Amino acid sequence: MSNETVFVLTWMPWLPWLLGIGSALLLMLLIGHMLVALVLIVPTWRICARAGFSGAWSLLHLVPVIGAFIVMAILAFGDWPNGEAHPERS
Amino acid sequence: MGAELVALMGLAGLGSAFAVVGLVLAAWMAWRIVDKAGLPGWTGLGAILLTLTAVGTIVPLVLLWVFAFMRWPRDEAPVAATAGPALPPPLQALSDRRGWRLAGKLTTGATVSLGFNESAATWTLTGAAAALPTDLSVPDPSVGQPHARLMIAGTRLGLADLGSPGGTFIDGARLLPEHGPRDITAVQTIQVGAVALVLSRS
Repeated sequence: MSNETVFVLTWMPWLPWLLGIGSALLLMLLIGHMLVALVLIVPTWRICARAGFSGAWSLLHLVPVIGAFIVMAILAFGDWPNGEAHPERS
Repeated sequence: MGAELVALMGLAGLGSAFAVVGLVLAAWMAWRIVDKAGLPGWTGLGAILLTLTAVGTIVPLVLLWVFAFMRWPRDEAPVAATAGPALPPPLQALSDRRGWRLAGKLTTGATVSLGFNESAATWTLTGAAAALPTDLSVPDPSVGQPHARLMIAGTRLGLADLGSPGGTFIDGARLLPEHGPRDITAVQTIQVGAVALVLSRS
């Protein structure tokens, strides 16, 4: 029996466990991300609505990493339909 | 081994560079956002930079919620301009029995004249055809369905925006849903969407 075969046979029984742990970790990561996104979506929805944009833009927080930046960019660089305090600075 | 170490260090360096660029971008955008709401820009920038300190991300998160639900100075400005002391007080000699009239020109060129009185406490300005006796139809595409609400209390007349995208203006000042009902008894013109309506007693 070659060394490679011995290695595979040694690890084979652990494979389902490793797959299970990996899946559980991914699921926890996903749930954690959704919870954090929800905490961000609620206030951002209100800010977007008060600015005059659709609150649905805040759902971009569900997009990892880049989503929050896109929402901020829309609010920071877009003209607010409901008016701005200093429109001349835009 | 050396090559892997160098690659790992490069990756970490790249990650840090992205983090710095992201932080600067976020701080800049936060400055602009709070500035548009009428608050000092440095408060937004400071909230983002707080993530670099020991307080982590909790305090900026709390500040985000506070910002979302607080009263913005932007919302105060048009109200002050509308309800300032420059407006004359309502005429005391007006009869309670007199009704009100809103008249103006639609974007199509057609004219509209709407009469209403104390027979109902609230009236609804809408771009749709009048479905209720208290509906005041302004058949223009820029007018929401419904668009705004008029309230009559004795000799006083109030106006509340219902959040229609076309916007509501009182003598040129924007009225937002957050402002609630505003006294327009002494106002000359209101604008719903693109339609300017002259207010008078009938």
